[in-house]
Amino acid sequence: MASFVALGIFTGLIYSLVAIGYTLVYGVLRLINFAHSEVLMSGAFGGYYFLHYTMKSTDVSTIVRVLILIGAVVASGAIGAIVAVAIERFAYRPLRRRNAPKLTYLISAIGASLFLQNFAAKVFGHNPSATPQPITSNFSWNVFGTSISAFDMVLLLVTAVLFLAINTLVTKTKVGRSIRAVAQDAETASLMGVNVNSTIAATFAVGGFMGGVAGLFIAMSTTVDYNIGFTPALLAFTAAVLGGIGNIRGAMAGGVLLGIIMYVPIYWIHQPFYEPVIGFTILVLILMVRPTGLFGESLGRSA
Amino acid sequence: MTGPESDLSTPLYTFQHALLSTHVVGFIIFGVALGAFMVYNKKVRAGILNSSWRKWITAIPTNLRAFIASSGLIQKAILAVVALVVALFIADFTGPYVAHKMAWNQVIGQLLHTRTYGYIAIIFWSLNTVRVRAQSRNSNAKAPSFFDATWVKILGGVLAGLFFAACADPWLPVRFSLSYFKWSGSSDDDFFHHWTTYLWTFCGLLVGVRAALQDRMQRRAVVQSRWKANHIKVSANTRFALYAGALFIAVESPKFIDAYWQETIFQQIGIFCLLAIGLNVVIGFAGLLDLGYVAFYALGAYTNAYFSGALPIHPPFTINTFFVIPIAILVAMLAGVILGLPTLRLSGDYLAIVTLGFGEIIYVLASNLTNVTDGAGGTGTAGSFSMNLPGIHFALSGFAIQDDLNFYYLLLAFIIPILFFFNSLNHSKVGRSWAAIREDETAARSLGINALKYKVMAFAIGASTSGVAGVLSSAKLGAIFPSDFALQVSITVVVLVIFGGMGSILGVLLGSAFIGWFLQYLTFHSFVGYNPADKSMWLGAILILTMIFRPQGMIPSKRRMREFKDAEANLGTADSLGSTTGGVT
Repeated sequence: MASFVALGIFTGLIYSLVAIGYTLVYGVLRLINFAHSEVLMSGAFGGYYFLHYTMKSTDVSTIVRVLILIGAVVASGAIGAIVAVAIERFAYRPLRRRNAPKLTYLISAIGASLFLQNFAAKVFGHNPSATPQPITSNFSWNVFGTSISAFDMVLLLVTAVLFLAINTLVTKTKVGRSIRAVAQDAETASLMGVNVNSTIAATFAVGGFMGGVAGLFIAMSTTVDYNIGFTPALLAFTAAVLGGIGNIRGAMAGGVLLGIIMYVPIYWIHQPFYEPVIGFTILVLILMVRPTGLFGESLGRSA
Repeated sequence: MTGPESDLSTPLYTFQHALLSTHVVGFIIFGVALGAFMVYNKKVRAGILNSSWRKWITAIPTNLRAFIASSGLIQKAILAVVALVVALFIADFTGPYVAHKMAWNQVIGQLLHTRTYGYIAIIFWSLNTVRVRAQSRNSNAKAPSFFDATWVKILGGVLAGLFFAACADPWLPVRFSLSYFKWSGSSDDDFFHHWTTYLWTFCGLLVGVRAALQDRMQRRAVVQSRWKANHIKVSANTRFALYAGALFIAVESPKFIDAYWQETIFQQIGIFCLLAIGLNVVIGFAGLLDLGYVAFYALGAYTNAYFSGALPIHPPFTINTFFVIPIAILVAMLAGVILGLPTLRLSGDYLAIVTLGFGEIIYVLASNLTNVTDGAGGTGTAGSFSMNLPGIHFALSGFAIQDDLNFYYLLLAFIIPILFFFNSLNHSKVGRSWAAIREDETAARSLGINALKYKVMAFAIGASTSGVAGVLSSAKLGAIFPSDFALQVSITVVVLVIFGGMGSILGVLLGSAFIGWFLQYLTFHSFVGYNPADKSMWLGAILILTMIFRPQGMIPSKRRMREFKDAEANLGTADSLGSTTGGVT
């Protein structure tokens, strides 16, 4: 039981990272970024190739491993950010310039997602490939009768750093202030001298960085595949809704909460494929009962 | 068969060959001539063509009309003979025999070919409409005649349907013979053993009822005309002729196509059309986005498999596939309402992601619930359509080409009524409510339109069509595999609707035909820089490019196109998804 809770928490952390991307874009554009799963996928591939080229030999010292890991996080985050900005540039901005209806954004995003996914399949092949592991330590930490591996602790550390960073970015810095201003009222913000286009691009970049890092951790825990992003992204969206879409802290909490809710039932039914089924049922239930999520929708006001 | 005398099981004619060498050309020539005459007539009436040196030409239709309207028995007889001769010549020119054109025995010999009667019927029909027009202009108060009686109209419709069935029966030999109408055993030559006969008779009945109700419809037309203000103005007769022509081509042309294209058209494009028409209600009419459309298709397919005992869980009783269809409609609609009700109260993009999730869940369940669905290995043979009533023997049995044709007519029998139903729905109160919600939901609500009700309705109606498509295709394919219901299929259907033109039924049909053909081509060909494995990549590119350069689609609906223009000028929305921010550059 406790091990399932732990599994839920650590998987949930990954969902939180992805959910932040959804929440940021939703807060600013009032739009679900359907192509976010491909940000995840490209981050995973970025991390995979970084590790593939740096981990030539398995016999490297701990310091080098830590450096490689930091490098992989930065690389996959950067790839995620670049892809997210590219999606914004090619699939959204031409429509925004024309003030197109929302339906066209959604369809364009689906098109972008399909294109990127199959482009990855074309370039990287259709078969899944195993990621080289930078974390080989057998160290595990025993909490409440469940062992937490080194991988989980690295994940916890990285997400904690990223959560702090994004919280600071959105609340304290100038970029964060302009993001919140655009989320509240884009037109007024542009009158106050905020460059709306570059703010939106920055939002995609920040969300893309988070998504890319999440992709790296998914890649490290399983294999890399061209459609690796789909299910985690769907569940992460559920997490974003659970926490209140548009609410960054809500997204962080929502991811972990969703992970726990999703994995605890698996303890009883022993059927891991039910995981997305449970997640989806939760999504429909939240939309029925409390569509604003547990913590309310608010990028413009609180976060 | 009414075309070239070849065996159906070995169709020798390619598509172009068939279109150019058979009586199809005859009907086209006739249609063009009729259209030219109508246009000419209209221009004369509008005073455009009434210059003095053309007066002798303008006199022709007037005289002709006066001639026909004067209703002498001898004149009518003369006219009948002339029409008959004209029909025989058209039949001769377009007939399958290349040699000995215009030889008198060949011309007379055309009487033996069933299609000749089709020409004769159309000529008389058009003469009759001219006569009716001439009369209605001459006298304002029309005395009720024998032909105005309701029962005459309905009976006439039924007889006309029977007649058309005889002319277009795909299984009858080309030579006309009275023995068709004999009630013999289960012979291929027996007219009353072909289910198309009953289909056309039913269509004839519908036309008859429509004619009988025409007075009422004309009264309502005053209200409707406001909503047709931007349409191309087509007279009822021309529109009827267009529909009849399209129907004729849809019925006749597949008989002459080679086996490869028969399979493509029947299995892929046909199902695509059905799916696209259904999704068009969601995207085009209601302005919502459904990304898990294939889930309802899967529900329909598995419902069929369940009721034919092909799944590991057995139903209490097995039922005929024809009766599974209403059940599948119910199941799909119910699923649509359950998904739609909680979701559609919120901003419309929630529906998109919830349906995306639902599609994935159905896929996951179908692949993994091995003790219910047989898992990824596929089910046993799902129920196929068969009907064995006195007079009607219909069965989809195996993989024969005859079977493909049977399936095609079955699809047609579903698609055509659905088309008419959706079209009238779109022009009814429901369709106007959808338009109002699309264009400005707040205003629509303030006028008392229950937006949630109409959105859920559109979603459920779209879902039910997908359910029907699932039953049909599972009956054709036999075994069902979860991989048939992957996300890719949903997105392909979105591409069909978007590319063709959302909201435009014609556009959606042509879009499905084109994309269906294109996908078939892309699957089996590779050329410079292209590899069949990248098919989906280019589909994605098509979606983005369509959205950027032509969001209204290739053949847009006039109203949808205007909505997009208005929305871009900040007047209302073109969908039911709420608005985005950041329209500032």
